Amino acid sequence: MKKKGVQLIKDGRRIDGRAFDELRPIRIEVGVLKRADGSCYFELGENKVIAAVYGPRELHPRHIQDAKRAIIQYRYNMAPFSVDERKRPGPDRRSIEISKVSREALEPVIMTEFYPRTTIDVFVEVLQSDAGTRTAGINAASVALADAGIPMRDLVTSVAVGKVDGEIVLDLNAYEDNYGEADMPIAMIVRKNKITMMQMDGKMTKDEIKKALKLAKKACEKIYQLQREALIAKYSEEIEGEEQSDEQSAQWLKV
Amino acid sequence: MEMYKIVVPGDFLSRDVKRAGEGTYVEDGCVYAHLYGILDEKDEIKVVALSGKYVPRRGDVVIGRIVDFSFPYWVVDIASPYKALLHVAEVAEEGERIEMSRMHEYLDIDDLIVAKVKSVDASMRVELALMKEFRVRRGDRLIEISHTKIPRIIGRHGSMIKMLKERSGCFIFIAKNGRIWIKGREDAVDVVSEAILMIANEAHTSGLTDRVARMLDTFRFQRRIFRKQGAGVKERTEKREVGGYGSVGSDVRESESKSESESECESESKSERVGEGGEIGLGERRIFDE
Amino acid sequence: MTEVVDELRRDYVCNLIRSGKRMDGRDFLEYREISVERGFAKKAEGSARVKIGGTQVLVGVKMEVGEPFPDTPDEGIIITNAELVPLASPEFEPGPPDENSVELARVVDRGIRGSNAIDLRSLCIEEGSKVWIIFIDIHVLDDDGNLLDASALGAIAALLDTKIPYERHGFAPCEVNPKTERLSVKMRPVAVTMADVEGNILVDPNLFEESAANAKITITTNEDGSISCIQKSGVGMLEWEKVDELIEIAEEKGKEIRNAFLK
Repeated sequence: MKKKGVQLIKDGRRIDGRAFDELRPIRIEVGVLKRADGSCYFELGENKVIAAVYGPRELHPRHIQDAKRAIIQYRYNMAPFSVDERKRPGPDRRSIEISKVSREALEPVIMTEFYPRTTIDVFVEVLQSDAGTRTAGINAASVALADAGIPMRDLVTSVAVGKVDGEIVLDLNAYEDNYGEADMPIAMIVRKNKITMMQMDGKMTKDEIKKALKLAKKACEKIYQLQREALIAKYSEEIEGEEQSDEQSAQWLKV
Repeated sequence: MEMYKIVVPGDFLSRDVKRAGEGTYVEDGCVYAHLYGILDEKDEIKVVALSGKYVPRRGDVVIGRIVDFSFPYWVVDIASPYKALLHVAEVAEEGERIEMSRMHEYLDIDDLIVAKVKSVDASMRVELALMKEFRVRRGDRLIEISHTKIPRIIGRHGSMIKMLKERSGCFIFIAKNGRIWIKGREDAVDVVSEAILMIANEAHTSGLTDRVARMLDTFRFQRRIFRKQGAGVKERTEKREVGGYGSVGSDVRESESKSESESECESESKSERVGEGGEIGLGERRIFDE
Repeated sequence: MTEVVDELRRDYVCNLIRSGKRMDGRDFLEYREISVERGFAKKAEGSARVKIGGTQVLVGVKMEVGEPFPDTPDEGIIITNAELVPLASPEFEPGPPDENSVELARVVDRGIRGSNAIDLRSLCIEEGSKVWIIFIDIHVLDDDGNLLDASALGAIAALLDTKIPYERHGFAPCEVNPKTERLSVKMRPVAVTMADVEGNILVDPNLFEESAANAKITITTNEDGSISCIQKSGVGMLEWEKVDELIEIAEEKGKEIRNAFLK
């Protein structure tokens, strides 16, 4: 429940010192898993998620195959140690819903008609959580799908906006999510101005939503650049013939 | 030194929709990338994938592994999300009929075959035609790499594969589905395997040909020293070890002609001439060709 | 077999829409016939049976006494659950809740919770040890599309119908103040689901229209002009520019439904 009496904004700054429209630092690494066909490690502030893609691959049982296209299966899962109070292993209702809306956020761009009768499996594991994990997961999954060579019309980019102490803010952390008034995770195709995921939890007015969406769009434009750069960096650094250290190969950004 | 341009899905490539090729899609009069890969704008506008699964196409030459029986077919794994089928008639001799209970006597689970993709229908049902002239035996080496790296193993005008064969004396057969079959002296096969894996890992870099050449040189150098040390006796031993594969060193030319006659790298290649040192029937297959 | 039918459905619906019509003759922004019957399930503390066209949902509210969550010792608890029981559709199978029933329950729940329709503090009996727990159970009886609006309407109607079961939980009748016999509901959130079919916005998509739609969006509005839940659902995309219009439609239709059925 949203608590009263907790001050989340002081002197125009948020409790972690960020401005209202400031993203947490992002770090993206592509191709971090050996066995997966595509993978991506994504940090958003204190969030740490890893996305892996297997596929297209054979799908059993046959009766769930689609004769004309690949099906997409998305599993969002939190490690028991990823949150303050241990989370029991296994899907809970929140994970089930997040898996569904995340899949629906990505499926519109995937050209599934290239691979009839197969499945493309996306797995997102949350290793450390500080609110915004579903958005980090979608960003990571987008990159992992590209890494796996899956044909897509575009990358999908995601961020959360919300309302905290009456102010519209970008990229809520766990504290703000718990004690703020509203949380609105969205996913979009930046270039084409289309929304593929939109949820709002809490209470907002129409104008607040408008303002929040504008903020989300600007942030997505930034995150999209980082996604692109990470994919390009995976091969570029090696084209020069030099190995870069782990730090350099990651994309640090403090907006 | 060429700098390759990497593109990601959704990148705008051009307004010249007539030239839109593989790895791209057209929307509202623009050509966009739909793959993560290398942009090639030489003729068509294409994106060459750096990753992704092998999808069989008619005419491809593949190396498959028998994984199941489904009379009158063997079910074959071709390193693809799709399994392929091989009809018993493909294996049977003229007038012969193979019964369900005797299929395993011809081809059993885990046997390797070289085949051509005969047909692929809309629901991705894949049928193979057996290339009987190739028999992959136990003890031969089989490497599996991403099919996207195969063009790099072949090299510009077949230069890379030619170098690998000449300098190792091995028989090397490259299939479209990323499987590579190698025969030869064990140490030579090892070097070739290592070289191929290196090429696959560094396919997108420059200076690769030189690095591979150096790796092969070291091998030849080591072999030369080895032979020099115990000249007479050693040479005789070598010849005996060689068996039916084709030997290294003094018998180089013999093994080369053997390799040339048996190898086939590209299904589309029209010239499958044998021996004579020149063309090895590889077809013009640079990394960006289609 | 199903696939062929789906394709045909899609084409049929799309063709009609292109000529400005819907298969049941409705306007694009028109709901099917709605009925709300309160008090249907007598054993429940509150209940409502809602029909929207051929869709039928029964929502029952039960109240129990239990322990509060440790971090909110002075607040009651709301738990929302949805069952897509097999008799409601050939597509529903018995078993644990699938993603659709999970999503349904959670979206209805968020709409109510976000609006602060129930003051959770008023559900406190003894701080730290005893609070009222409200169970909202959505039982889908017939699926002809737009289960969400029917379930959400049923939920708020059932809450408005709810009498706190003092006697069953050991409170003597003389302690009960008749004014507080009914659960206190401060806001009446209404969920409005809209489907985007080739750029056209359709309110209250029926089963066929749902399968033809690119994507659906549900927006829950309240009488004070606030929005307490948004959920885009389905594999598809929404135009950025359309969001304003969607919110306006949701507000307007929400008001109509609230005035007609939630007095």
